[in-house]
Amino acid sequence: MLIASLLVASFVIFAAMYLAPGNPIAALTGGRSIPPDSIRILEARYHLNEPFLVQYWYWLRNVLHGNLGISITLRENVSTLIASRIWTTAGLVLYASIIILLIGIGLGVVSGLRTGPFDTSTLVVTAVSAAIPAFVAAIFLILLFAVKLGWFPALGNGTSFLDNVRHFTLPAFALAVSSLAIVARVTRASVREESNREHVQTAVSRGIPTRQVIRRHILRNAAIPVTTISGITVASLIALAAVVEVAFSLNGLGAFLVGSAQSKDLAVVQGISLVLVTAFVVVNVLVDVLYAVLDPRVSLGSRAE
Amino acid sequence: MSGRRKLIAAVAGAAALVLVASACGRSATTTNPSPGASSATAGLVTTTPAGTAPVDSVVWAVYRDVNSLDPIYAFDYPENTADSLMCESLLRQAPDGAIGPGLATLSTPDPTTLVFTIKSGVTFWDGNPVTPDDVVYSLDRNTDPKLAGFYPAVFNRVKSIEATGTNQVTITLKEPDYWLQGELASIPGIVLEKSFVEQQGKNYGTPAGKIMCTGAYMLDSFKPGVGVTAVPNPNYWNPSVKPLVKSILIKGVPDVNTFTSGMLTNAIQGAYEFGLPTLDQLKSSSAVKVYSGPGWSTDAFIVDNLKGPLGNVKVRQALSYALDRQGIIDSVYKGAALMPRWQSNPGTFGYGVSVFNAAYNSSPVMNQDLTKAKQLMQEAGASGQTITIGMSSQLANIAAVAGAYQAAGKAIGLNVKLKSVSAQNYINFFIDPKAREGVDGFMTVNYGDYADPAALLSTFVLREGSQNYDHYNNPQITTDLETARSTADPDKRAQLVSDAEKIAATDLPWIPNTQPTNLVVFNKNLTGAVASFAYMFAPWADNLGGTGSS
Repeated sequence: MLIASLLVASFVIFAAMYLAPGNPIAALTGGRSIPPDSIRILEARYHLNEPFLVQYWYWLRNVLHGNLGISITLRENVSTLIASRIWTTAGLVLYASIIILLIGIGLGVVSGLRTGPFDTSTLVVTAVSAAIPAFVAAIFLILLFAVKLGWFPALGNGTSFLDNVRHFTLPAFALAVSSLAIVARVTRASVREESNREHVQTAVSRGIPTRQVIRRHILRNAAIPVTTISGITVASLIALAAVVEVAFSLNGLGAFLVGSAQSKDLAVVQGISLVLVTAFVVVNVLVDVLYAVLDPRVSLGSRAE
Repeated sequence: MSGRRKLIAAVAGAAALVLVASACGRSATTTNPSPGASSATAGLVTTTPAGTAPVDSVVWAVYRDVNSLDPIYAFDYPENTADSLMCESLLRQAPDGAIGPGLATLSTPDPTTLVFTIKSGVTFWDGNPVTPDDVVYSLDRNTDPKLAGFYPAVFNRVKSIEATGTNQVTITLKEPDYWLQGELASIPGIVLEKSFVEQQGKNYGTPAGKIMCTGAYMLDSFKPGVGVTAVPNPNYWNPSVKPLVKSILIKGVPDVNTFTSGMLTNAIQGAYEFGLPTLDQLKSSSAVKVYSGPGWSTDAFIVDNLKGPLGNVKVRQALSYALDRQGIIDSVYKGAALMPRWQSNPGTFGYGVSVFNAAYNSSPVMNQDLTKAKQLMQEAGASGQTITIGMSSQLANIAAVAGAYQAAGKAIGLNVKLKSVSAQNYINFFIDPKAREGVDGFMTVNYGDYADPAALLSTFVLREGSQNYDHYNNPQITTDLETARSTADPDKRAQLVSDAEKIAATDLPWIPNTQPTNLVVFNKNLTGAVASFAYMFAPWADNLGGTGSS
């Protein structure tokens, strides 16, 4: 399944890049003309004038031999370039996921179980934050916490692990802010719905302590939709990270993908796409496994309800 | 990728004679305007006060990540900035554009022979001496077809380059070529160590390899996404230069807001800029200091179709008269640019200064004149015709200038359509004839390799010019420039180039918009970088250091 996804994705992306207007050689020239001979030599070297399927076959054959190719702009191996950036994106997505899951699910559960001012304010806050795109959040966070207050750095990766955490805090929040709202809302709705189910009413009327009712009867059952939305959200973070990486000048795969797609650096785009598709598939598999754990009606290998 | 174009204000360099005579050719002298001729670049400085205190680390921002450290592929601001920081050329451009000795001194026993004598004691970072073989090898790399470098054309009058002594290299020319000296003071003249480059093979200059140069700063690491880190060269061959910064990181910061907040929060300590939308914010901040130096580039409208309405010189002149250049200077450059008189930026007067200044000052400023514009349109009978301007709405500066052209066209009855492409595809206009189809012109910020108005002008007015897209040909300009190239006397050369510029200013093969000033943005505790556009071609951080105050 993974292999099939990768093959189809790589073909589609290659085709899209091929059809898109633009010229990777142009990215080397900085907006002034370079000698036509140089252009010709570079085009021949990277097979840029060959027909589409021939170019795709060159790339595929290399990949099957474990060679992801060479970046036209940097003249370095794509695998090296990806390896040096993958932990930045992974760290950012992980950090943002933790924020989303902790705060999103936390808020959703608490406001789902109560009514009143807390619930109303959660609704308002999530409505507002759902409307804030990641780059707007980035600008605002930089302005307030980096420039005005100086609590966090405005850009860069940081050096040691603790320094990394400090550098990644604002970007992680920027990335998390709109996804958080969706997770909170879905959690709240799911918890509400479970609270009104008959088996919960039965449990309450039988005198089972509230805490136990919440844990074993409400949350356990509300977990399925929450898992679904969390899985989708985390998977989507992998792509959204690009915007935040650019805004905070982080050395991640997303920013690199954006730049390479813009310069039509084919091998890099294909390589990163393979990584992203794999990550997406892995996250979905993890979600499926979680279903099986949470819902005894579901066994691995069958569809979740 | 955003193509931030930089305009460089011209600086009249009067210290040319001093620099040619000096043995080191490397001093942080400021420029004196030539006596008797007012400088178009008065008020701009070529250098900043030299640093006095050691600094642990400096993050120097460029508009995108450096993608190569091999000089034959250096064609844009980030690569030039990194190469000029660490590498040195045969000859050297001073901050005011004057060309003097670099790694070698030059003598010309006759007009077609250039003899370079490598200075004694000049060594690479690894301590090996610079030999004639290294020089010949480095220059030949530019013309090696297998390497596909970007500078082969500058050697088109060279017959041979040979080692002719223990420290001597002789270049024999097919005909006299006084422009070659400028190129050898620029990126094509950078000297690398032959054995090192051969051993690195195709990894030379890539992140997978290393480089070997002669400068005061040497390469520590080149990590794409992180940047290029340079550290002081402990074995630098010139004892009068003592690098003060322990680590310089050249980092790509594409987003202007990220750059600005980085400067304000001291995450970034310095950068070269032009056309900076947040200039006012940076100038008013107490955390940052901005210096304005002469630029060497021109913000211009390239006419790439002479078969359409713009083929008629009166239409080009009408459009030029109708253009509100002051508006562009105010909105795009926040005042940091000059009103043009010529195609080339007066900052490029690196020689023949008094001749250039006199000629420049006698040329009219390209002020807006709607009456003249309308009259010219009428004489041309071009009212109601349509031109298409290539631009990108993603490149704010270019979009703003294109808008100014639309307004100008509207004022004189010329229909101006805009064809917008993505920021990435914008560069295709420069290299792909198919991209230029259907487009009458597009914007550029463009510059030559050294301080000479002819350096940029020749690329688009001479028939074989790499940026002459529709066979523009003016015999008088061609004669003036070709003769200038073969003329030994700098003042006579300046006169010929001035004549060519004057014709180009009325014939308008390109329409110059403004001439940007070169901005240096420092953290308040840092100083010493070269302030003129010379930073692109010669070491700019030899005097970089702390201000001494905390």
